[in-house]
Amino acid sequence: MTVLASVSLATFLVAGLAATQFRSQPLPPSNRLARDEALRKSVNQLEDQNRALKARVQTLQADVKAGEDETARRSSAAQEVKAQLDEQKTFAGLTALHGPGLTVLLHDGTDPNSPVDHSLGWTIHYQDLQDIVNVLWASGAEAIAVNGQRIVPSTAFHYAGVNILVNNASRLSGPYTVIAVGDPPALANGVGNPDQLAELKSRNRIYGLGFSWLRSTRLSVPAYDATFLVKYAQPIG
Amino acid sequence: MRSPSVELTARSQRLVIFSLIAIGLGFLIVVQLRSQAAVARTLAAQDDTSVALLINDLNRANNQLIQQNAVLAEQQTQLQKALTSGGADSQALSKELTTLREVNGAIAVHGPGLEIRIQGPVMDFELQDALNNLRNAGAEAISLNGYRIIGSTPVVSRGDILMVAGHAVRTPLVMLVIGDAEQLGPAADLSASSLQTRVQVSIQRQDDLAITEVVTPRPVIYAQLGK
Repeated sequence: MTVLASVSLATFLVAGLAATQFRSQPLPPSNRLARDEALRKSVNQLEDQNRALKARVQTLQADVKAGEDETARRSSAAQEVKAQLDEQKTFAGLTALHGPGLTVLLHDGTDPNSPVDHSLGWTIHYQDLQDIVNVLWASGAEAIAVNGQRIVPSTAFHYAGVNILVNNASRLSGPYTVIAVGDPPALANGVGNPDQLAELKSRNRIYGLGFSWLRSTRLSVPAYDATFLVKYAQPIG
Repeated sequence: MRSPSVELTARSQRLVIFSLIAIGLGFLIVVQLRSQAAVARTLAAQDDTSVALLINDLNRANNQLIQQNAVLAEQQTQLQKALTSGGADSQALSKELTTLREVNGAIAVHGPGLEIRIQGPVMDFELQDALNNLRNAGAEAISLNGYRIIGSTPVVSRGDILMVAGHAVRTPLVMLVIGDAEQLGPAADLSASSLQTRVQVSIQRQDDLAITEVVTPRPVIYAQLGK
């Protein structure tokens, strides 16, 4: 009887473990690869669609501009509005600009592989880009672009997992190039000011994170590759 | 009463059975632990969350771009219609001018949104993070303590003083944000959650907020049109 009871208990335990084992079995490699591939395919398809939609926006913007130019030629009232419109487009980042300025270069440092340092301080974060852009505006920048993406009134940097996104889900990856058009000495003084970007400068020393800048006599920033939708804000008066 | 030889045989059989079961159990426990570790490593390598978040953002951005295309197509049709009939429709130009003035903070605006009150000092990077989150959630107009904030408005800390566009702003901070309150709410909550450990933050939805302050565009001295 004792042997039977022992065998029964042991068999029960083995069956339980076997069941748990079956449930926790990782996906077979073929399924896992298929799932990875499907996810990557979705991203590629959506990014292709994103590029195509932006190209369509730019074509339509060119058509609208041609219509506006012709309208302004035919009416003096429209001509006045068109002059104001062109000025607002420049302020909003809808036109490409060039001029003297500053190029700021950033890249990840070296992973210390330290068991006590899990800070990821050696990588460039979206907040670093946001801080640099803020300092450049404060130093009198007239136009800014990050990795070819124009910084406009609606621009927000954010993370989607490990990806840094900006302007309609445009993915930014290092090395990062921030171009600012403006007075080169003023811009360089702003970035070089020890009171500004102190944390980034400290990580530059600790992790060898790349952070340098260069004055230039001619830089160019592209126009914003989309447009603005205002749905909720209404003008007063 | 069993004989000693029979008793010995039975004991040996029990020992063999238990040994086999113990081996089996040991094997299964080890395999179990190893397969669980493998599952964890596989998930980490795949970074499904990153890919899923990216897909979500791309879908959202593409929907926005589809809407932008529709607005531009309508604008073009309106302009073209007037031109074809021999006239000139300055209304289409005026409409676009109003939109850009709103975006650039050049005119007073009103609309639904959030009123965020912060009771306590805030550093420049904290305000930048909040503004970034709100813009990402579709904020269309923002003001802080009577100063209009647009994309190029610098926010810096001078010691304990927060400066917005060169003006000192002191607590309590009152931020007005116009946009879709459904979208703005979670973004404001996210910023508040990091601030609330040391300052008091209250967020109220409003059906109609007015932001009357405007921004004077800074003169363009160095930049010239064209690539």
